[in-house]
Amino acid sequence: MSAPTPRIPQTITRYRRQVLGLFAVVILTLLIAASDALLPAYVTSTDTLQPPSARHWLGTNDIGQSVLTGLLRATPVTVGLALLTAALALLIGLTMAGLAVVFPKKGRAVVLHLTDMAEIVPSILLLLLVAAWHQPGAAEIILLMAVLTWHDDVRILRSVLLREIGRENIRLARHMGASWPYLLLHHILPAILPTLTGVYLQNVVQAVMRVAGLAFLGLTAGDLLTWGSMLQDATGYLHTPAWQWLLLPPALCLTGFLLVLTTLDQRQQRHARLRQGANP
Amino acid sequence: MRPKAGIGISRGKAAALLRGLLQRLAVFVFLLVLMSVLPRLLPGDALDVLMDSDVQRDLQESERSALRDQLGLGGTLIEQVGRDLMRLLRGDFGYSHLHGAPVSRLLADALPWTALLIALATPIFLGVGVIFGIEAGRRPGARLDRIITTAMSLLASVPPFVTAMALLLCFAILWPILPTGGAEPLFPAEAPWPHAREIARHALLPACALALHEVVRYFFVVRGEAAGLSRRAFVINARSRGISGWRERRDYYGRNLLPVICARLSQSVATLFTASLFVEVIFSYPGVGSLTYQAVLDRDYALLQGAIAVLAALVLSLNWIFDALTDILAHRG
Repeated sequence: MSAPTPRIPQTITRYRRQVLGLFAVVILTLLIAASDALLPAYVTSTDTLQPPSARHWLGTNDIGQSVLTGLLRATPVTVGLALLTAALALLIGLTMAGLAVVFPKKGRAVVLHLTDMAEIVPSILLLLLVAAWHQPGAAEIILLMAVLTWHDDVRILRSVLLREIGRENIRLARHMGASWPYLLLHHILPAILPTLTGVYLQNVVQAVMRVAGLAFLGLTAGDLLTWGSMLQDATGYLHTPAWQWLLLPPALCLTGFLLVLTTLDQRQQRHARLRQGANP
Repeated sequence: MRPKAGIGISRGKAAALLRGLLQRLAVFVFLLVLMSVLPRLLPGDALDVLMDSDVQRDLQESERSALRDQLGLGGTLIEQVGRDLMRLLRGDFGYSHLHGAPVSRLLADALPWTALLIALATPIFLGVGVIFGIEAGRRPGARLDRIITTAMSLLASVPPFVTAMALLLCFAILWPILPTGGAEPLFPAEAPWPHAREIARHALLPACALALHEVVRYFFVVRGEAAGLSRRAFVINARSRGISGWRERRDYYGRNLLPVICARLSQSVATLFTASLFVEVIFSYPGVGSLTYQAVLDRDYALLQGAIAVLAALVLSLNWIFDALTDILAHRG
């Protein structure tokens, strides 16, 4: 190791957690993309509504599909939909917040008005309206949900951006001739990363709940297999013993995933608070 | 000029309220326009979509154009949308062929049931959320706080429709002490008191499911606010003077939490309607939520349009009223 190690940008070492998180997201995306080929086929059979057995570990549903296979196949779809929806909502929110900060007069008024309006739109009515004419598929769900939820992120992102831009380090660096792209990458982005992560996690929680709700109502495209649509299939069997293997697995998966997300979110918040307390 | 302190609201507040009203009107009109534009923007002919599900037959071109006029699909897009808007604003919601009744009657029949559920659920979630929130927040970090907060975090991770299904499963199917669905039995009792009791029994589970959904939100809001209050000088002072128990909770916490709770209520209007849709579908309760849902499934567009117009008007005006109340309360400081 005689050669000088390449200098890792300070941001990466300092924000190891966030970088690791990014890696996890990339790996997850690859897994989601490859899952269709890796998992067994989700085929119908004549063994309908079988209880769990050695052959079908979690039993079968009303058209003889294995619940376990369905659960495994629904996992990447459910998780992927939530992650992408949350990312798109964050992107729209960040763009809006950025516009409000860059154009403090006109932009701010327009963005805040739009945010106010988006906040009061009863989103369920809009979803019902759209679903009545056309049951949305994956891409449409992501777009719809992002358009309906970005407003949650704008205010907090705007206040964080304003705070960071007003700091001395930015003014000093500006004075020294730093360009805005440089400032964005080296000063502003690292400073707002914790907030971004927190907002993103909350977006994911919201997206999971909303997409599952829509699928539970049976208002998503028929071929889109998610935990929510599996729950929808189970509703007809509450009066039979089949609820034990039709209802419980997707319900537990959904709850477990949400629990992981909220725990991550709480830890992230505590972390951010500690950091703020350490260097006020 | 400084606005006069005291009763009433300042000019700035009034302007903000007016702005809120205008924004809500804009959103309402946007929803109405979307409602009438959307079906006409989709690929294919709206007439084909409508007829497809009802009558499968070849129509003559003259019959088609006659039908088009009859269904309000003639003329340019702007003409059609304008006609739709005027019709809805006049309060003429049309006729549901599937139910064989005017849409306004269907809605008028369903709304009281939804109102009953919300009226029953509100005291439950307010009471539980506020009491637990104050208990947890007045000593942040204590054992009681940790237990309650953990339980609430767990509850928050369960999607509301899953809790509703769990309630249905536990108290109506596995341990059948309450009815599984509907708002009253098939043959309601004649006498008023047994009848009221039957209605209450049917509404209990859905109302609880609805309340559970909101309890968590109120708990976290109230806990955070109470934790802030517990560090304020006047509360510390009161405690050192030996004020505790009911009086501390009511006069020192409860009274100061009122604006926060009111502010939360304005957001709750929309979430409660959303939640009631899920709850009514799960408990097959004949409220406006399940009516709307059924309209979507049956592609009963007249009913769907009427329901969305009425619900949007209700939600938007109610949350504006709560916003106004919050402003008046917050004025007390």
